[in-house]
Amino acid sequence: MNRHLLLAVAAAFLAACAAKDTKPAAQADPPYVFPHSPHVEGDVDCTACHAAIVKDSRLEARVRHVALPRKNSDVCNGCHDDKDFKAKVKLAIPARTRGFEVRFNHAAHLAKPGVTCTGCHQAPPEAGQTQPSRLSMSACTACHEHQADYAAGKCTPCHVDLKRYEKPVAAFQHAGDFMKTHGGLARPTAESCAACHDQTFCADCHSGTTAPARQSVLFPEAVQRDFIHRGDYQSRHQIEAGANPASCRKCHGSAFCDSCHTQRNLTQSSALQPNNPHPAGWGTLGSGDFHGAAARKNIVACAACHDNGAASICVLCHRVGGLASDPVARPNGPHPASFVSRHKGDDKTRTATCLVCHPN
Amino acid sequence: MRSTPRLFAAALAIAAAATARADVVEATATTVVTAGQQLRGALTGQTPELDTVLPAYELVTVTARDVRNPLFQNLEVVVAGWGSYDLGEVRWSAGTTDKYTGDLTTGYVRGQLFDRALTLRAGRAFVVAGAGRMLQLDGADLLVRLPAGVSLSAFGGLPVAQRFRTRAGEKSWNPTGGDLAYGGRLGWSLALPGAFGRGLDLGASAVVVTDGGETVRQDAGLDLRFQPVAGLVFTGSGTYALEAGRLAEVGVAALWSATRKTFVTVDFRKLAPDLFLSRASILSVFTDKERTDVGGGVRYQLTEAVNVGLDAHLLLQPTGVGSTTENGYEASARAEWEHGHTRVGGEVTSLASGGLGAEQNGYVGGRLFGRRELGRAFLAGDVQLYAIKQAINGSTQSLTGSLSAGYLLAGGWSAVLAGRAGVTPFLERQADLMVKLVYHQTYRVREVK
Repeated sequence: MNRHLLLAVAAAFLAACAAKDTKPAAQADPPYVFPHSPHVEGDVDCTACHAAIVKDSRLEARVRHVALPRKNSDVCNGCHDDKDFKAKVKLAIPARTRGFEVRFNHAAHLAKPGVTCTGCHQAPPEAGQTQPSRLSMSACTACHEHQADYAAGKCTPCHVDLKRYEKPVAAFQHAGDFMKTHGGLARPTAESCAACHDQTFCADCHSGTTAPARQSVLFPEAVQRDFIHRGDYQSRHQIEAGANPASCRKCHGSAFCDSCHTQRNLTQSSALQPNNPHPAGWGTLGSGDFHGAAARKNIVACAACHDNGAASICVLCHRVGGLASDPVARPNGPHPASFVSRHKGDDKTRTATCLVCHPN
Repeated sequence: MRSTPRLFAAALAIAAAATARADVVEATATTVVTAGQQLRGALTGQTPELDTVLPAYELVTVTARDVRNPLFQNLEVVVAGWGSYDLGEVRWSAGTTDKYTGDLTTGYVRGQLFDRALTLRAGRAFVVAGAGRMLQLDGADLLVRLPAGVSLSAFGGLPVAQRFRTRAGEKSWNPTGGDLAYGGRLGWSLALPGAFGRGLDLGASAVVVTDGGETVRQDAGLDLRFQPVAGLVFTGSGTYALEAGRLAEVGVAALWSATRKTFVTVDFRKLAPDLFLSRASILSVFTDKERTDVGGGVRYQLTEAVNVGLDAHLLLQPTGVGSTTENGYEASARAEWEHGHTRVGGEVTSLASGGLGAEQNGYVGGRLFGRRELGRAFLAGDVQLYAIKQAINGSTQSLTGSLSAGYLLAGGWSAVLAGRAGVTPFLERQADLMVKLVYHQTYRVREVK
């Protein structure tokens, strides 16, 4: 059925590998025309041309934040008083097509005492450059402490996108037991995670439905990584499922469990005489191992084999009129109090699920 | 049911086309062949069979960033998928009786408009934010960044179904179930002056999943991240199941960089596991019990080369009788030493929890691991030993180990050979072999410093 799949995989991969040689050069903005260095060295005030930046709270795409002084202005004439200069030099603001890679509030920063333009812009662009001279992050970290932000994965207040960068992995290691805490951090700040991580990274562990195999099977050499389900997880899975049933359910549906249980003859559907995983007393009311208490305790474990809709084994006894049905002793059937109070007076023929046990 | 092969082919075609116009292209191909034995069947009193499985996998990831186009900023195409062929018996996790199988794990096109105020994505992706609970969808989502720190996101699509065909027909492994999902999140971020990263993130979200018109999930959620000072972060989230009228999940945590060497976490979670089942499941009507776990951990950089950690959580679990609870716990201690090209670590883990019946089960386990880089080569190994409290399949011990060796070849290629062996409650002797060839390359047309 899927032989074409391998061909498609190979074709796409070859196309990706060949991209290096076939791509045209990236389109660049027009080159800078203004020689910044001599003017900076000559103590020309940056705001003579960049006056508006003092008030700008955000960097806008396609905006240069430049306003040239008027012709014959003292700003230029103070040094360039020769007629040749006025005749030869025609400055024009080159177009800027690209957006910015960071978000930055110049107004807030320049209002602080001691903050100067050259404190950050140590190598302003020169005439002929097509790309601006990018600032080192040390320009930020000289004042701003980033340790907590790494821990919280909080990059997007400044960075628009980090995925294209080579990441200094050691500096970005998330602190503490990140396996346990990352979910709580991701819910309110998923955009921050996405600044560095493609969803392929999330899928490594979270794609229980579509993954080829456990990560620890595919990457046994990555011994330093906190893979879930490492080693002989088959023996431990029922203990861990008992400790936190909901965690299994976040990635694995019942059919996933059933896929193995059927082959091990643990499910009724797999054989006429299945291996019985239940303890003695499972069907004996009052025994320490009675299934009713176990189901109340961990219904997700039951779902691993018995989530079969109308064919569920539970229905045999618990349906109205079934073996476990006793309108006097158990007027609410198997339902817990919260269920009864929520659905009291409901039309039981409303859903297919209700109809399985309540046919009338 | 959707046709995954066609979906896969379409995603790969888009990725292939995008690479020709992208500034940065990352491509990874991993060929893995494993050989081992898996347990099969056996009726009561009979000896189980051992099947030899020999799956060969090809995993491919292609990511094209900054794809030049006249409309979107930051346009990127991400495709990750795999195909496999079982050379021996079909492995249990293949999900099909076919020897060939495969799937698309991730595949989307994402771009931004209006000075990045609007982000659009279409394809196969996860819903990460809010009450999404990592819902994997074939669909689309958008994020609108509004003034004053307000953001609005919305998603819709089909919960991802099991790959090609299953042995029992079209049966999904998807934990969510359902054939339609939609929802969104309204968020607000407030940056506080004083320290970079200080601020507040608040969100309210909703998720609805239906199956043939019947409710599978109908949840509303709140989430929070608050960083009052540089080294202290509080997180919190709650999900309320509207159909059941109960809380499905509540969690709060505090993360504190107490010193430059010490990181402390404290967390609390309350869960209703039945609300993680489909509301259309017969089993969803039998219980409403909740579980609580509370605890924390500390990591300490003992020396420049050594860091240690300790985590402990108390589990408050229902007994299933009345409203009584029993205590379980999970705890772990870990130490790692890294010096030069060598990394060695060890951990001890202990877990005790309620089992299938009335008895508690649990284990105490230990793990030692190490990795040594030797120029272009490396050696890595780990050993795990678990002592299980209540016998499983008549045995209380599990011992497994793996040894891997790899070499970095030229041109982005590398090779790994690994072996795994062990004695477990299910297999008296277990041995697996793995051979892997990896190609990873990043192509950059436009240099970004």
